[in-house]
Amino acid sequence: VCEGRRGGSGGGSLGWEGRSEPNPTDIPGPGASRGAWARPCAVPQVDSHYCPSCLENMPSAEAKLKKNRCANCFDCPCCMHTLSTRATSIPAPLPDDPAKTTMKKAYYLACGFCRWTSRDVGMADKSVASGGWQEPENPHTQRINKLVEYYQQLAQKEKIERDRKKLVRRRNYMPLAFSDKYGLGTRLQRQRPGAPISALAGLSLKEGEDQKEIKIEPADAVEEVEPLPEDYYTRPINLTEVTTLHQRLLQPDFQPICASQLYPRHKHLLIKRSLRCRKCEHNLSKPEFNPTSIKFKIQLVAVNYIPEVRIMSIPNLRYMKESQVLLTLTNPVENITHVTLLECEEGDPDNINSTAKVAVPPKELILAGKDAAAEYDELAEPQDFQDDPDIIAFRKANKVGVFIKVTPQKEEGEVTVSFKMKHEFKNLAAPIRPSEEGDQISEVIWLTHHVELSLGPVLP
Amino acid sequence: MPLYEGLGSGGEKTAVVIDLGEAFTKCGFAGETGPRCIIPSEIKKPDVPKPIKVVQYNINTEELYSYLKEFIHMLYFRHLLVNPRDRRVVIIESVLCPSHFRDTLTRVLFKHFEVPSVLFAPSHLMSLLTLGINSAMVLDCGYKESLVLPIYEGIPILSCWGSLPLGGKAIHKELEYQLLEQCTVDTGLAKGQSLPSVMGSVPEDIVEDIKVRTCFVSDLQRGLKIQAAKFNIDGSAERPPPPPDVDYPLDGEKILHVVGPIRDSVVEILFEQDNEETSVATLILDSLIQCPIDTRKQLAENLVVIGGTAMLPGFLHRLMAEIRYLVEKPKYKEALATKTFRIHTPPAKPNCVAWLGGAIFGALQDILGSRSVSKEYYSQTGRIPDWCCLNNPPLEMMFDVGKAPPPLMKRAFSTEK
Repeated sequence: VCEGRRGGSGGGSLGWEGRSEPNPTDIPGPGASRGAWARPCAVPQVDSHYCPSCLENMPSAEAKLKKNRCANCFDCPCCMHTLSTRATSIPAPLPDDPAKTTMKKAYYLACGFCRWTSRDVGMADKSVASGGWQEPENPHTQRINKLVEYYQQLAQKEKIERDRKKLVRRRNYMPLAFSDKYGLGTRLQRQRPGAPISALAGLSLKEGEDQKEIKIEPADAVEEVEPLPEDYYTRPINLTEVTTLHQRLLQPDFQPICASQLYPRHKHLLIKRSLRCRKCEHNLSKPEFNPTSIKFKIQLVAVNYIPEVRIMSIPNLRYMKESQVLLTLTNPVENITHVTLLECEEGDPDNINSTAKVAVPPKELILAGKDAAAEYDELAEPQDFQDDPDIIAFRKANKVGVFIKVTPQKEEGEVTVSFKMKHEFKNLAAPIRPSEEGDQISEVIWLTHHVELSLGPVLP
Repeated sequence: MPLYEGLGSGGEKTAVVIDLGEAFTKCGFAGETGPRCIIPSEIKKPDVPKPIKVVQYNINTEELYSYLKEFIHMLYFRHLLVNPRDRRVVIIESVLCPSHFRDTLTRVLFKHFEVPSVLFAPSHLMSLLTLGINSAMVLDCGYKESLVLPIYEGIPILSCWGSLPLGGKAIHKELEYQLLEQCTVDTGLAKGQSLPSVMGSVPEDIVEDIKVRTCFVSDLQRGLKIQAAKFNIDGSAERPPPPPDVDYPLDGEKILHVVGPIRDSVVEILFEQDNEETSVATLILDSLIQCPIDTRKQLAENLVVIGGTAMLPGFLHRLMAEIRYLVEKPKYKEALATKTFRIHTPPAKPNCVAWLGGAIFGALQDILGSRSVSKEYYSQTGRIPDWCCLNNPPLEMMFDVGKAPPPLMKRAFSTEK
C-alpha cells in the first residue's frame, strides 16, 4: 500500500479497480493473525506445521498422527509456559555390584515461570533427556472405539440398502406382493410388528439379517449417584490446589479438579499459511518451508507492481491559492513503465474526501526500470527522456519527481487531493503453456488506481 | 486411534466436528475420543477491550457474519490446523437455535470457507450415540438455559421439549450480585473494604472462576433448609452452618473474601421453585408427563444429563434426589405411574458428551455424505433444511436435483402455486 502523507505515518490510500490475472493483493505476513478480514478474495491454506518453541518443521502426515503436537516440547499445565528439562544427579546402585552406588543423571520437567515441576504431579524422573514422558491415556478410548465400530456397521447396512433402492427397477410383470408399490416389499424389508421403529432413521439392526454382527452392550443406567463426601461442607479450600477453569479446559479428556492431577501436554504446533486466489486458484503467497526463515517463495504483493507515490515537499497551502506540490513516483519493476495521472471526473464514487482542486501533468510520464546495480554502475549512461522541466522536477534511476498544482477549496481543515493513476502491468509469471505463435509472451494490461493524498492543514 | 482413520474406507479425510455453545466451543475431529480444544466462544478485536461473544442472536446479519467468519477462521488455523475445503463439517446445535443464526453460519461455511458439506446435528440426539442406546430423556444444562428433550427409538419427541433460563448465566448473575452485596476486599492500602467501593462490577470470567472453584450443590435436605432460610416464610428458619470462607486473589494486590454462605446458596437458584413452580428438576418431570404413556417408563429409567453446568460438584446427586422428592408431590403423584429413575454415565465429561456423539456420527463415512447438506445443494437452493420449515423437500429427493418436490406436500402445506 502506498503512503503519501507529510510526516510519513500513513494517510494515503490506494484502491484499485483494474482487473488483472493474477490478482496482486497486499498480504500481511503468514505469521500475522489478522483473521479472516485480510482479503475476501484470497483463500488461506495450511502450508507447513512447526513447533513454536523448538522451531522444528513437522511434515503434515506426522502432525496428523501426533495430533498437531510437538514430540519434544511440553507446556506447563499451570501457566502454559514452555517447560524445560532439568537434570539432577541421584545416587543409583551399579548393575554389577549393588553395594556400590554411582551418580546417575535423572531428568525432570520444570517451568521457569511458575516453578511447577513434573514431580508435583508424581511423574517419576526419567533417565533419558527426551522421549521419556508420555501423556496419560483416556480411559474411555476402548469403549468409544467399540461404539464407533458398531455404528459403522449400521451405517454400512444403511448404505447398502440405499444403493439397492437406487438400483431396483420396477418390474411390471411381477405380482403385486413382490413390488415396492404398496410399501409391503419383500420379506427382508417388511418390519415385523413389535420390532423397534427404525432408530436414527435406519441405524438399527434388523433381526436375523447378518450373522457376523458386532454386538454392543448398551450403557447401563444407575439408580444412585455418588453424593459429596460428608466433610465437603466443612473442609476449607486451598485455592492453589484447585484448578482454574482455563487449566481444566486445556485437557478436554480429563478436566481434572485437583492440581495434583494436572499433567503436562505436548506443545501445540503453529502453521504457516499460503494464500491462493479464489477465482483462478493461483498461488499468491507461499512462505519458506524452514520455520526460521521469514522470506517467501512466492510473493505477489501489490507493492511490487504498482508505482509508489510519495510526497516530497509541500509549500504553504492557502485557501484558493494555487501552489505546487512535489511528488515522487518510483517504479518497482525492472522494465520501463508508462504512468499517466488523470483528474477525477465529476461524480466519481471514489472521490469523497478531496477538499482541494488538483491539476495533474497532462502528458504520459515515463519511469525507468529498476536496476539493482544502478547505484554501483558509474559508467552507465543516463537515459535521455527529454523531460519537460515544468512537469518533471528531477529524475534519478527509477524515480521521478513530478509537480502537481493544488488549490485548496476549503478555508480550514485538512487539504486532501485525489486523482487517478494509470499504469501498465505486465504479467511476467511464466505461462503454463508456452505460446508458440508470435513473440507475445505476456499482454500489457492497463490498471487505474484511485490515489488520495493528505497534504496537511490549510494555513491561514 | 482406530486403524481405518484417514487411510482406508475410500480415503476420505476425517470430518471436523464443532459444538458452538454460547459460552464455550468444543472443536475437534470425528472418530477421536475428545475435542482438540474447548475455547470460549469469543473473538478479540484490537480496538475493543472486551472480547466479543460470537453466539449472539439479536445482532444484524453483517456483524454476525463477520464474527462467525473470524471465529471459524481461528478454529481452523489456530486449533485444528487443517484446510476447510477438504473436510466435511458436523455442527452440533441446539434444537432451539434460531434459523437466522443457522443460515448465517451455513453461509459462512459454504460461501467463505467452501466446505464440501455441512450436517447440523441436534445435541440431545447425539448424546445417545455415546451410550449405544436408542431412547433417553436428555437434559442439557448449559450457559444460557437448561433444555430437556426426550428421544424415543432415535426420534426426538419434539413436542415434549422444555426449557428454563437456569444455566451458567443465571448463576453468574446471582453470584455477582451476592459478591457485591456481601463480600469485602483487602487491597494493598486498606483491609476490609466493601467490594463495590473497589470495583463497580466483577468481570464475568472472574465470577465464572469463583463459581467453578468454590461453589457446589448441597444435597436435598441441606438445600431445602437453605431455601427455607432464604425465603424466611416463618421467620424461624435458620440456614445450616455455612462452609468456610475462601480468600480469592483478584490480582497481585487485591484479595476478595468470598463468604461461606455464598458458596452453597448461589447454586440453589437452579432448584428453587419460583412462582411457576419450575426448576431444573421439574423440567424432566413435566416433559415426562407430556410424553406418550408407553414411553414414560423407558425414558425415566434412561436419564442423560449433559452440559457444563451439570459438572458442578454434587449436581447430579441433587438432581436425582429432587426428582424423587418431587414425584411424590400431588402435582406428579397421580400423573406419573413410574417411580424408578436411573441416570447414565457417558464416556466423557458432561460438557463434551454432545461433541463426542457428533464425533462418533462424523466417523460414519458411509452415510455422512448422504445425510449432510452438500455445497451443490446449497448453491442451487440457497438454504438449508430446518425442522421447523415444512416446505423444504427432504434431502433424499435432492439426489436428482432436477426433480420437482412431490406435489402432495406442496398443496398441503404451502401457499405457493
